[in-house]
Amino acid sequence: MNALPPDLPTPEHAEWPSDWLRATLGFLALRALSAGPSYGYAIIGDLEHNGFGTIKGGTLYPLLTRYEAAGLVATEWRAGDGGPGRKYFALTDHGRAELARLSADWQRFTVTSTAYLTPEPPSKETSA
Amino acid sequence: MNATDRQLIEKSDKKWFDELVLELRLRQVHGSAIGDTLASARELLGDTGQSAEETFGPARDYAAQLELPAEPQHTWIRTALWPSLVSLLAFLLFTQAVTAWAQSEPLLVSPAQLALITTPVVLVAFLPLYLAAAIRRVWLLILLVLICALSGFFSGIVAPTNEADAWLAIDPLPWLIGSAVVMVALAIVNTVRSTRVGSADEITDPLAEAPTGTGWGSKLFAQVTNWLFPLFALGMLGLALLLG
Repeated sequence: MNALPPDLPTPEHAEWPSDWLRATLGFLALRALSAGPSYGYAIIGDLEHNGFGTIKGGTLYPLLTRYEAAGLVATEWRAGDGGPGRKYFALTDHGRAELARLSADWQRFTVTSTAYLTPEPPSKETSA
Repeated sequence: MNATDRQLIEKSDKKWFDELVLELRLRQVHGSAIGDTLASARELLGDTGQSAEETFGPARDYAAQLELPAEPQHTWIRTALWPSLVSLLAFLLFTQAVTAWAQSEPLLVSPAQLALITTPVVLVAFLPLYLAAAIRRVWLLILLVLICALSGFFSGIVAPTNEADAWLAIDPLPWLIGSAVVMVALAIVNTVRSTRVGSADEITDPLAEAPTGTGWGSKLFAQVTNWLFPLFALGMLGLALLLG
């Protein structure tokens, strides 16, 4: 979907703490659908390509099932070309609004966290 | 990946999918949702070439994580457990009454015999409490079947041989007819229910119009299951008439 930004780790080395991924995978999966309907393997590939490592089907599918139940994504089965059919997931209007809200919240959170984590310049008292 | 590895994965995948269906069934998930889950999993496995266990983790955990829409448990208790329990009770009554009737004798009942006969009924009545454990552990299932078989066997041994030893001495014919009517009526109800279009019990392939499990063989099997108690009772009647 998107080109890999240069400041992100390469996919081969993308081993984020599982807690971080658990917290963010929801809106990352919604983001992977923002360009249009997609299917399981393509979503996993997109997340991997963008530096989040390989997400297991056992993690992604329960999430998408919950989002379907919550009305954030709609699903459609399409017959495959000579192979098995594919289940396509597409963002609903509700899902798109939720993605926008979560993205904005996440950006505010990262700005706050980054500001807090940035080492303060040494004060005159400590340097003296 | 060589051919042997592929065969091993196919074998383990088949076991994994069987377990997944079982786990989803235990959770009373609708047949259409099970069909959708199976097709989604097969789609991803076809793309990754990995084994199901590797991609989705243990089938039991995956089934739990999916949180698919399911029937409330009381639905299957009302539509499946209670009819089965009443059919079992009727069948047990029938087996006790048929021998006495064939020999033109009263139906003699002792307390010990009654307790042994009710053992399988009690075990079935409490099935919702331990069904999942019994299905997941074969030894527990064998133990339950063994208890039912032994209680049936010993109820025959402790059956009183004369009226003086009996707690109750009753005319077997009304019990014989009553239990037969109950068994046949419930078999008819179950047959009508299982042939109804759109039954939630059918696993449906999301890409196919027809349910996946509606072959001639599976339909016949379902109908034979519905008529199991009346068929066994008919066999018992034939045997009693031959020996009587």
